[in-house]
Amino acid sequence: MLPLLLGIVLCSTAQAHFQLLYTPQAALGESAALPLALVFSHPFDNGFTMDMGRPEAFYVVHQRGEGEPKTTDLMEYLQPIEWKGVDSKAAAWLANPPRSVTRSLGDYTFVLKPAPYYEAQEDKYIQQITRTMVNIGGIPGGWDQPMGLPVEIVPLDKPYANWVGGVFRAVVMANGKPVPHAEVEVEYLNHEPQIDVRRFDPQGKVTAPQGSFVTLSIRADAQGQVMIGLPRAGWWGLCALDLDDGLKHQGKELSLDAVLWVQATDMVK
Amino acid sequence: MLGVALLMSAAVAHAHNAICSCFDNGDDTITCEGGFSDGATAAGVPLRVFDPSGKVLVEGAIGKDGTFKFARPKGPFRVEMNAGEGHVVKIDGRDIEK
Repeated sequence: MLPLLLGIVLCSTAQAHFQLLYTPQAALGESAALPLALVFSHPFDNGFTMDMGRPEAFYVVHQRGEGEPKTTDLMEYLQPIEWKGVDSKAAAWLANPPRSVTRSLGDYTFVLKPAPYYEAQEDKYIQQITRTMVNIGGIPGGWDQPMGLPVEIVPLDKPYANWVGGVFRAVVMANGKPVPHAEVEVEYLNHEPQIDVRRFDPQGKVTAPQGSFVTLSIRADAQGQVMIGLPRAGWWGLCALDLDDGLKHQGKELSLDAVLWVQATDMVK
Repeated sequence: MLGVALLMSAAVAHAHNAICSCFDNGDDTITCEGGFSDGATAAGVPLRVFDPSGKVLVEGAIGKDGTFKFARPKGPFRVEMNAGEGHVVKIDGRDIEK
């Protein structure tokens, strides 16, 4: 009974919802076509993957050095798919934009505004505006600039250039202003997405000793700044919760969250 | 290297690299992008295209938009972006893709 009971407790309380905007590699030496998987899940243990509706917006902003930012809409590349979690499957999306979309050097900020998700357990909607940044060739551009989204986590360190053991800092912003003491959840993408077979690797990389380690709950400081350590290679998700009070969707409360993905890389020869 | 080259400019005082990447526009022209790893502009940095004998086929410079476009030479060629202090980024024309 104990393992079963523990499982139920973990599913209902300890996991956080995270919108994935996944591509395998955040820092590429040269331009390539980037595969993207859009999955709404619990990245640490993937006990339950949630159905996604058609996203409201999906685009990429490219900037090379001090050049003008250029936005490319990606909605036309969305393909509806079924994604397998460890013990569930759900509606998700893949996108395979051609190499021409990411052919230039510089920063590419992918932005996803998913459809609001109805969370029955809490009788409210969740919408996570999600950003994943990719760099090609090592010329930066715009990674540290707010994009003017209603809610966003603005990096103070490049999200694509982090050594394992380093720290990552960012500022939580809502409507252009830092959010003091924002509630932020942090999860490690423990089950690697396998885009070709449309599932998460059933084998996780690590085991949490206790529920508090599945989702790391932290608070921003008085300036809205958060700092996390990056103890293991791979993707780390930051999700700032419910940043715009009083929003409604179809008569119910809407939690508007901001998600940012950060990739840590091992120091190897 | 597939058309991308970077240069560790250890001898230069700045802690940044010169980076150049070229792609084939599919209309018999090639666009090369230049820049630095700190995001600084490479506008004005000389860029030359040579044939295998070392003859200059095209001579130009990275523009204000960070790029330089030229007609694809008929034969083999290489691109060199000269970021100064003897540091030159070289790209073989065979590595330049669409």
